[in-house]
Amino acid sequence: MRASLNWLKEFVDIDLTPVELADVLTMAGLEVESVIKIEEDLSHVVVGKVLSIKSHPNADKLSLCQVSIGDGTFPVVCGARNMKVGDKVPLALEGALLPNSMKIRKAGIRGELSEGMMCSEEELGIGEDSSGIMILEDDLVLGMDIVSALNLEDHIFDLNITPNRPDCLSIAGLAREVAAVTGKVLKIPSIEVREEDGRIHDLTSVDVRDPELCPRYSARLISDVAVGTSPFWIRRRLESVGVRPICNVVDVTNYVLMAFGQPLHAFDFDLLSEKRIVVKRAKDGDTFATLDRLERTLQGDALMICDGEKPVAIGGIMGGLNSEVSETTSNVLIESAYFDPSNIRKTSKKLGLQTEASYRFERGVDPEGVINALNITTQMIADLCDGKVAQGIIDQCPSPFLPKEITLSIRRINKILGTSLEKERVRRYLKAIELDNKNLDRDKLIVRVPPLRVDLNREIDLIEEVARLNGYDNIPTTTPLARVTSGRRSSAWVAEDKVKYVLISLGYYEVVNYSFISPKLITSLGVDANHPFHKFIRIKNPLSEEQSIMRTTLIPGLLRTMKTNVYNKNSDLKLFEIGTVFFPNKEDKLPIEKRMLSALVTGLRYVEAWNFSGDEIDYYDIKGSLENLFRALNIRGCNFSCAGDIPYLHPGKSSTIMIGDTQIGFLGEVHSEVLENHDLSKTAHIFEIDFDLLVKHAFSKKKINLLSKYPPIYRDMALIVKEDVQSRDIYDAIIGCNNSLVKEIQVFDVYEGEPIASGEKSLAYRIKYQSFKRTLTDQEVNKAHKKLVSKVLEDMGARIRL
Amino acid sequence: MKEELEKLFGEALGNLKVAGEESQVTQVRTEFLGRKGKITALLRGLANVSPEQRPIVGRLANEIKLSLEEKIRESLASIQARKMKERLFHEKLDITLPGRRVPTGRKHPISEVCDEVIEIFLGLGFQISEGPEVESDYYNFEALNIPKDHPARDMHDTFYISDEVLLRTHTSPVQIRLMEKQEPPIQIIAPGKVFRCDSDVSHTPMFHQVEGLMVGDNITFGDLKGILTIFLHEMFGAKTKVRFRPSFFPFTEPSAEVDIACVMCQGNGCRVCSSSGWMEILGAGMVDPEVFRIVGYNPNEVVGFAFGLGIERIAMLKYGISDIRLFFENDMRFLGQF
Ligand SMILES: [Zn+2]
Repeated sequence: MRASLNWLKEFVDIDLTPVELADVLTMAGLEVESVIKIEEDLSHVVVGKVLSIKSHPNADKLSLCQVSIGDGTFPVVCGARNMKVGDKVPLALEGALLPNSMKIRKAGIRGELSEGMMCSEEELGIGEDSSGIMILEDDLVLGMDIVSALNLEDHIFDLNITPNRPDCLSIAGLAREVAAVTGKVLKIPSIEVREEDGRIHDLTSVDVRDPELCPRYSARLISDVAVGTSPFWIRRRLESVGVRPICNVVDVTNYVLMAFGQPLHAFDFDLLSEKRIVVKRAKDGDTFATLDRLERTLQGDALMICDGEKPVAIGGIMGGLNSEVSETTSNVLIESAYFDPSNIRKTSKKLGLQTEASYRFERGVDPEGVINALNITTQMIADLCDGKVAQGIIDQCPSPFLPKEITLSIRRINKILGTSLEKERVRRYLKAIELDNKNLDRDKLIVRVPPLRVDLNREIDLIEEVARLNGYDNIPTTTPLARVTSGRRSSAWVAEDKVKYVLISLGYYEVVNYSFISPKLITSLGVDANHPFHKFIRIKNPLSEEQSIMRTTLIPGLLRTMKTNVYNKNSDLKLFEIGTVFFPNKEDKLPIEKRMLSALVTGLRYVEAWNFSGDEIDYYDIKGSLENLFRALNIRGCNFSCAGDIPYLHPGKSSTIMIGDTQIGFLGEVHSEVLENHDLSKTAHIFEIDFDLLVKHAFSKKKINLLSKYPPIYRDMALIVKEDVQSRDIYDAIIGCNNSLVKEIQVFDVYEGEPIASGEKSLAYRIKYQSFKRTLTDQEVNKAHKKLVSKVLEDMGARIRL
Repeated sequence: MKEELEKLFGEALGNLKVAGEESQVTQVRTEFLGRKGKITALLRGLANVSPEQRPIVGRLANEIKLSLEEKIRESLASIQARKMKERLFHEKLDITLPGRRVPTGRKHPISEVCDEVIEIFLGLGFQISEGPEVESDYYNFEALNIPKDHPARDMHDTFYISDEVLLRTHTSPVQIRLMEKQEPPIQIIAPGKVFRCDSDVSHTPMFHQVEGLMVGDNITFGDLKGILTIFLHEMFGAKTKVRFRPSFFPFTEPSAEVDIACVMCQGNGCRVCSSSGWMEILGAGMVDPEVFRIVGYNPNEVVGFAFGLGIERIAMLKYGISDIRLFFENDMRFLGQF
């Protein structure tokens, strides 16, 4: 909300600087986001009075005026004709530099001397009116500089008013707070309405058919108004708080809205059928044209202000075109009401229409301020538009708004705040915010809260007021009484830390992608409609289609990250992400959330350097990373088996990752079609693992073997096998020999090509034999090895490579 | 004989002095001390020396032999040392060539800062708690005293899955889930992702928060100030000025917004802090009795405080980053700097 300092000063004396005031308000919970100084550079422009107007002897369209500034009179040649003798006008004298860059100096105009210039609002840069000379209020002192005469210098405060404080959504409301925290007196004007002929009850009626949604509806009638432009000061005020002036009648309602926080509406009384008001709910599907010239479709719970036939306004939100005040209007009905906040909000949300009025009604206006605001508005319109106010006021308020009574315990205040405030001080704070109170007993007070303070309903609300007025800074800073607890991480957090640590030391960068992605990215993986990745959850109101579904896999995010970086010439990447994926849940309205660990590698293993060759990363790099990870997490029994049917992976270079019988994920080379879909030309390898399953198997108890005192003996065997034989099969065959002396098996060479025949390959193994009981002899190891080799040859249909 | 011995000794020393190679030194040993060596040969004639002279000559011969052995060893050692020095000199590396760096990765800056926050609170005795990212309207709003059609909902631009299901807009629902399951005392933090439909230089539709909750029977607003001041001093330095000012959250009362002196201008006022000298860093307050009632606690018996802070905001302040979107672009040029 915007507030003008000049305006505030009408309601309360302020002797703080604008910056000090901003600080005081902020520390009282009314956060000032900025203070902007409004300055007008209008030196040498003063208040003048037109003494005479003669026609210019040499020019038909010009006139020759004498303008007095009190202690001097200046001849001024002028082209405008709207001023008359006796009018006060802004006079720019020699030396003035107007905002439109015009420099004023003495000059002869068609043979007549002109020593200054009378200005329009537009020429002064303070308004839009360029139709003629600005005519000033009659009571201004001659010769006074225009900036002080028109109070043009101001400070505009931009405040962030929290939803609990609708009472501060007005200049008077803010002034009440300023008065409370600075100890000054609040000056709210009371007004006496000068009523003339005609009694309102004879002229119109108000029938509130839904008092639940409209607990109070008041109205006054003004006849014979002259609709036109508002005086400068009203327009200036409205513009300073961001409201566009429209016409005097409407401007006054907006002025009172901004000043007192009560939304008002002016109807063209002659456009109301049967000259009466009926307040009732809309019919479902009714349409209605609002002042913003849009046709709105209504729902049954919208509260409508109607005349004898039809709706004329959406209650508390916006008036209708059919009863709009215009230049031809001469009689107006002014509405001042209190509407049910939550219903206003519902309707405003449904219509997607928020106005200054609805914003205040949905937060809660002061039901007791309704009449005062109506009277002020009425009298201002009568004064400014030469209208006549009908006698009496309509005030439909079936159940009165009573002050709330709340019991406040001083002990409770101190228990919650950690203070030792005394009762008298608390009472002082309550008095500062106009809350009457009396003693209930030694500890407790009974506090009366006016309906204006919609935020104060419970004891805790009053405790907050006490804390606020005491100043949070004056509440002692303490630490909780010591309890012996030790903060500990859950095992999932420990595992996550470990996983990150291992992957980072292996060269992987952690990335964080959005949890929502484009459905196109799922399609880009080449998975068919039945694939679980396609069972995604949609966001009803996404920012864009690109972020419209909850991810079911982290892979697209990693591919996107790869693309970003490849475009930025970083094509050697090792990335990982730990994040949530989402699937529909048959048992619950909330989806199934699974945490996944995914990684992507692409480009060179190491950047080529004088001591590193530039080899491309391959399947075995990412597999090695996983093996390292499993080792670090002490996961045993993990296994990689052929995947074959994962659409987004290369069928020959991919595998599933198993722990025992549980599949926890997959790894492999990204299918070239998927890369193409992402405009990527370089190959990449990925893995994705169910992180929760990984954690479940992590940190199995470690079993530490004794160390053998006896030396090991190593024997090699080089085999030639068919090319489709897998290393795992040979390993299993060796294990299948059940030789307890075999302690380690290592593949130390894999070879295909000359001189090995095509369709075959060679694998070489080094086997470690060792006993815990004695030193093995060469002879017995040779014997054992020979037996083992022949068994493997037989099992695998292999032969020895010579 | 004595004279002859000393003459041979002198000759041997002379030879040693000019010997530059190990072979020349061993040559001296063979020539003088070997089985057929000159001194050995001379001593064979010891039998011819008078019995009175024999012990004297014998002793002298022994001394000369030992002394010569010693000199030979020294000579050998010095030749070896010289040669080692020469060899090492020629083995010199270009020590300015870059080392064999095996590149390591980096934690994402958000994780980095989040871990730092967690570490501080673990040290203060808080436990970690977590909750789902997709939440029900009940946990995200209603149980936190934000009824439907309440203007406080305007404080959250919410992504909806359905009328009842949404992407959580804050980590506060974790408070409710925990209090429903567990009796006080409670002392937890809940880090995690949150979502709001908003996107510009200072807002991304997803960001990270850490929620904190401490509930017991003797916790005060002063304690809230104490815990958060300790945290902010740990995070931004012990001299950081901290202020608490009144604010509004539907699930806490009294509520506070916590500011620290602007890290850019040290409180003097600059563009970043819109000349106020302060920067908003977290929101906090005493748990509203209504929230206690909703989770089934007795609001007259338990008190507690809650707070929430944005990880990206802290990271931006710590590292002087002005565009929050950088965190989610995952550009290596950015990530590599942490
Ligand atoms: Zn600053």
